[in-house]
Amino acid sequence: MKYAHLVWRNLWRNALRTAMTGGAIMLAVVLVCLLLTMPAGMDAMLNDFASNTRLTVHNKAGIVYSMPYSFTRKVRQVDGVAAAVAWVWFGGAFEEDGRVTFPNFAVEAEHIGAVFPDYPITQQQLADFQRYRDGAIVGRQIMQKYGWKLGQRVTLKSTVWPVDLDFRLVGVIDNERAPHFWFNREYLDQALREKGANGLGIAGTIWVRADDPRKVNTIMRKVDEMSRNSEAETASETEKSFFANFFGSLQGLVTIILIVTGLVSLCIVFIAANTASMGVRERAGEIAVMKAIGFPRRVIFTTLLAEASLLSTFAGVLGVALAVGLTGALQAAAGWSDMLGPLGNFIVTPLVIVQGLFLSLFVGMLAGVVPSFGAARKPVVESLHEVF
Amino acid sequence: MALPLSYSLRNVRARPARSIMTAGVIALVVVAATLFLGLISSLKRTVAISGDPMNLVVMRKGSDNDGSSQITLEAYQAIRFFDGVARDADDQPLASPELVVQPFLRTKDGGRENVLARGVEPVALQVHDKVRIVEGRMLNPSSGEAIVGRGVAGRYAGAELGRELEFGRGRWKVVGVFEAEGSSFESEVWVDVRELANDAKRPFPYSGVRIRAASEGDLARLERRIDEDPRYALDAQLETDYYAKQSESANSLYVLVIGIAVLAGVGAGFGAANTMYAAVQARTAEIGTLRALGFSRRSILIAFQIEAVLLSLLGFLLGAVLAWALSLVLDWLLGGIAFGAETFTTNVVALRVSPSDLVGALGLALLVGILGGLGPAWRAARLRPIEALRKA
Amino acid sequence: MQAPRAHGGDTPDEPPLIRIDSVSRRYIRGVDEVHALEGVSLQIHSGRFVAFMGPSGSGKSTLMNLVSGIDRPSEGEVIVAGQSLGDLTEDELAEWRARHVGLIFQFFNLIPVLNALDNVALPLLLTDLSKAERVRRAETALRVVGLDERIDHFPRTLSGGEQQRVAIARAIVTDPDLIVADEPTGDLDARNAEAILELLRSLKHDFGKTIVMVTHDPRALRFVDHAFHLDKGLLLEGDDARRADQAVQLAAGGGLISGAGRAS
Repeated sequence: MKYAHLVWRNLWRNALRTAMTGGAIMLAVVLVCLLLTMPAGMDAMLNDFASNTRLTVHNKAGIVYSMPYSFTRKVRQVDGVAAAVAWVWFGGAFEEDGRVTFPNFAVEAEHIGAVFPDYPITQQQLADFQRYRDGAIVGRQIMQKYGWKLGQRVTLKSTVWPVDLDFRLVGVIDNERAPHFWFNREYLDQALREKGANGLGIAGTIWVRADDPRKVNTIMRKVDEMSRNSEAETASETEKSFFANFFGSLQGLVTIILIVTGLVSLCIVFIAANTASMGVRERAGEIAVMKAIGFPRRVIFTTLLAEASLLSTFAGVLGVALAVGLTGALQAAAGWSDMLGPLGNFIVTPLVIVQGLFLSLFVGMLAGVVPSFGAARKPVVESLHEVF
Repeated sequence: MALPLSYSLRNVRARPARSIMTAGVIALVVVAATLFLGLISSLKRTVAISGDPMNLVVMRKGSDNDGSSQITLEAYQAIRFFDGVARDADDQPLASPELVVQPFLRTKDGGRENVLARGVEPVALQVHDKVRIVEGRMLNPSSGEAIVGRGVAGRYAGAELGRELEFGRGRWKVVGVFEAEGSSFESEVWVDVRELANDAKRPFPYSGVRIRAASEGDLARLERRIDEDPRYALDAQLETDYYAKQSESANSLYVLVIGIAVLAGVGAGFGAANTMYAAVQARTAEIGTLRALGFSRRSILIAFQIEAVLLSLLGFLLGAVLAWALSLVLDWLLGGIAFGAETFTTNVVALRVSPSDLVGALGLALLVGILGGLGPAWRAARLRPIEALRKA
Repeated sequence: MQAPRAHGGDTPDEPPLIRIDSVSRRYIRGVDEVHALEGVSLQIHSGRFVAFMGPSGSGKSTLMNLVSGIDRPSEGEVIVAGQSLGDLTEDELAEWRARHVGLIFQFFNLIPVLNALDNVALPLLLTDLSKAERVRRAETALRVVGLDERIDHFPRTLSGGEQQRVAIARAIVTDPDLIVADEPTGDLDARNAEAILELLRSLKHDFGKTIVMVTHDPRALRFVDHAFHLDKGLLLEGDDARRADQAVQLAAGGGLISGAGRAS
């Protein structure tokens, strides 16, 4: 519109101040975006990533209690079940200090692909996984974190089982949300027998894919019924519910994060408002003259507001861009830690971007409203009187 | 000739609105930094103080925590009679065989969390010196009883004195509540070790042993002896080391938090610089007069820097008070912040802002003030007397 | 060179452009009620160049504000170009001013971040004219005031006199009925002041503009058709007015006697 030129030139009236204000807002937006990736990561995990046809079966008493492996076969035969796979926690440590830094499981190689078809693993890699007993499929995040390449060999020392196993990396789960390490349960079973134990007779969790989302509830009921009064009573739940529960305890942390986000946003408002009112005060004379010439109050108001909004929106865009760039570094620093779980993914989702931009626009307008309104509202004669 | 401190003080008081704005921005950053630092340090502290300097943690070689280890009865019987193990009044060794399991517990509002259940024998109370029963009494073996830590009590359904707690495959009657100086033991449920092993169907009754040394001198020797015993693949370490390692995984969080605080600080620095530049501009004539009177550039620079520092301190005070109040409110509202622990269980952490957190926040505030104020102070100092007077 | 004393105009059959009828303006300042103007009546015909003069606090600026539609009277009527200004709301007055009045101030006339051309074109933003048309008119106005060499200069690179000329160009760019100037020479040195006054006079002479100027510059008497004198909110008339005129002429320091202005 025709006032664009005026608004633009007024922005650069005091280049240093504009740059400082813009810088402050930009950094605050970066911060807000980074903070928001945490709860957003959790939301995304629950709503986007969890499949609506997948459910999990585990011992009712707890995730660390196991079920007999034979139960898996019974689950597979339930009506509506397209595929089922048993997982066993290996607890393997890769790092020198013996800490487990990513979840690793012994799985049934021939069934895993059918239960997780939405995980991007090539057919060839799945075939290799079945062919090579010591094969392993790893999530992309883990590959990147340790700089592993396909074909490489990796050793994990189990903190739960009395064995160390040496694997060949044959496949990659090519997305951001599956930091898993899968290997053949046969491999572990064999290693245990060699040690003199009875092999791997248990299943820790059984993942099931239903052929129709409407059958999920029935399947869950059936499975739990089957196990009732047995040695390992099961509790089945949908994938979404499982994750919700698993990370439900992080609610307190999320609350604090949101509070701090709010505080930082408030900061932005202060800074932008301060600058806006400084600008308005300085220009009191010009504004008075413009009103005298005949510019209606709403034009004065809108141009001042546009100036504040333009600055903060532009700073917001830069901030979001910077946040997107920084998340890579953060993923390396914290990543999927035990402490943070999905909060530590630092994936800047579209939701986060929108929130960041909206915040900066909204804040700019909010901050600019009071000084602009005050400057515009006064009757022209008063404005002139104050200045001359 | 240096400008008196009162000059800087006066200027801060002269424009209260502007000073509050700048101090306010710094205060917000201080609150954010303090809360985050407090969060992580609370977590670390909770875990770190769990370690008793006189105790050893014995686990299977290769396990990194209680929950994933197994120890045979044989091994336990052997090591408890080693030299150097403390004895009680009846000359029984203070060696506590324990089983750690992580069952689901339902929270009061219907959620579900993994909680650390520790199967113990009565000797556990003597080995874990810090643990004190504050309500009710210690559990009796083979009686289906349980005692709960302070962090557990009230958080989960049935986790109250006299009520019944459901987990695993059974029900346990809560007969006591214990405290442990705010350590992670307070997030645990203790039951009889044999009953737990039965319930969890563990082939090995114990996951580990906690041993109390007779004296400090015995610690190292005992540790080595257990480690090197050829019969059993065991690993002994100081309890303090064990928990120190666990609290280290919070270090990556420290990095994150400090990064966030720095970002916030830089942003606040820009904001503060902005206000100060405006102040310098408004006081050009005044500065020119001072220079004309003979005050050196350096004295002007220092005076403005002092002003910036005063604003930082003001912001820090505001922020510290607010953060402290906020931490109390949050702690009360949320009943402790839950974190995941190494054992896959929930560590309920009381949010406490410690002096070292405040020191960190103070450092940040000062940095923001000094760096933010540097540019404007420099500009003020560089004003030539004649120029400044002319502008007026 | 002469100072004709036509009161109200020498073409009585034509209605006046500006009519002020028993106008008073009072307002509250703190606990006092200030009587800025009391019962002032006067007429100004089209094509006249008049001055409002008087000491500070006399009400001349208030009168100027009423004539230009910046303010509204407490009592009485202000009618400009047939429009009674007291009937209009604040926003309506703004619109009216944009269309009918060109304003020049003593300070802060120009927007520092815009060049001369953009400053002059500023009032045209309130019209529906195309950008090209706005530029054309602004250039024309700048040519009239003799500044076409400076159209892309920013105010900080223009002298005081040049800045006022740009302000004048802006005042005429919308081709208003009335030009109102508030102490236009107040901040200028003698040579520039005379140049500005001459420019204003030529606007009246060559373009038939009606100009109302508030001033206490004694030199103004040489350029205006008539001077109204105010004192303490009242309009001086008859003998009082004549005496005020003489006082001003004396203050002008012999401008009458020597004719061509000498540096004072």
